Amino acid sequence: MAYSVLIVDDSQSMRKFVRRVMDLSGFEVGSCWDAANGAEALALLRTHPVDIILTDINMPEMNGEELVAELERQDAYRAIPVVVVSTDATENRIRRMIEIGARGYVVKPFSPEALRGELERVLGVAHD
Amino acid sequence: MTEMSEAISTAAADVLETMFFSPVMAEVAAEAGMPAATLAARLQFSGGRSGTFAVRISTAAAENMAANFLGEEAGQPASGQVQDVICELTNMLCGSVLSRLDREAHFDLGHPELVDPLEVPTPGSVSRAFDLGEGQVAIFLHLDAQP
Repeated sequence: MAYSVLIVDDSQSMRKFVRRVMDLSGFEVGSCWDAANGAEALALLRTHPVDIILTDINMPEMNGEELVAELERQDAYRAIPVVVVSTDATENRIRRMIEIGARGYVVKPFSPEALRGELERVLGVAHD
Repeated sequence: MTEMSEAISTAAADVLETMFFSPVMAEVAAEAGMPAATLAARLQFSGGRSGTFAVRISTAAAENMAANFLGEEAGQPASGQVQDVICELTNMLCGSVLSRLDREAHFDLGHPELVDPLEVPTPGSVSRAFDLGEGQVAIFLHLDAQP
């Protein structure tokens, strides 16, 4: 199954890198959208439904924590799983993001295998 | 001081190889052999500890790393892309170093900005430099005095 993915990061290079690593990992991406912050992501979701969202935390205008909280508040988006992709590996931050609604967390640096593993875990992909 | 140096060295090896496909060839003296053509980026952080984190990198190494990061042939990334990648490198290195220093703390990283290489480092910084084959990268960490 190919998944529709939204990548949210204020760095265009990072968005491109994440997309490339998903391809390298063998994770099947159907359509892939990207946004530079949480506000752009919410605007895009109104017209482009996705299966999973990958978001950075530290972004201008609306950061990743605000985005996750807003997605949890809205019935239309609550079911979309969110995976945080961040440099912040501190336990407080990881715990906080999971508490407010993120389903997964990938710490940069990450390997293609680690990213795919977390995406599939969150999506409940079963392996033979 | 040793703990900070070790955190920088370990984070550099991990981030550079995993995300930029630029394995560290050797650790070198911080200022030895750094060419005149360099880029530098810096960010401020706060939280459990506050301070300044900076990276200075030779242009050749920066272009090679940007090409690796973006999946393009060496020399292809535009100047703006190279600068964006170096800011991302600074962000990743800083997060990785701080997480190694204290996994229990909470840190807020500022937005990395390109700066004049002559403004780096902040006096009193702990530094480490690495040969990447295509050039060198130097990393600087300065922790503010605790109140």
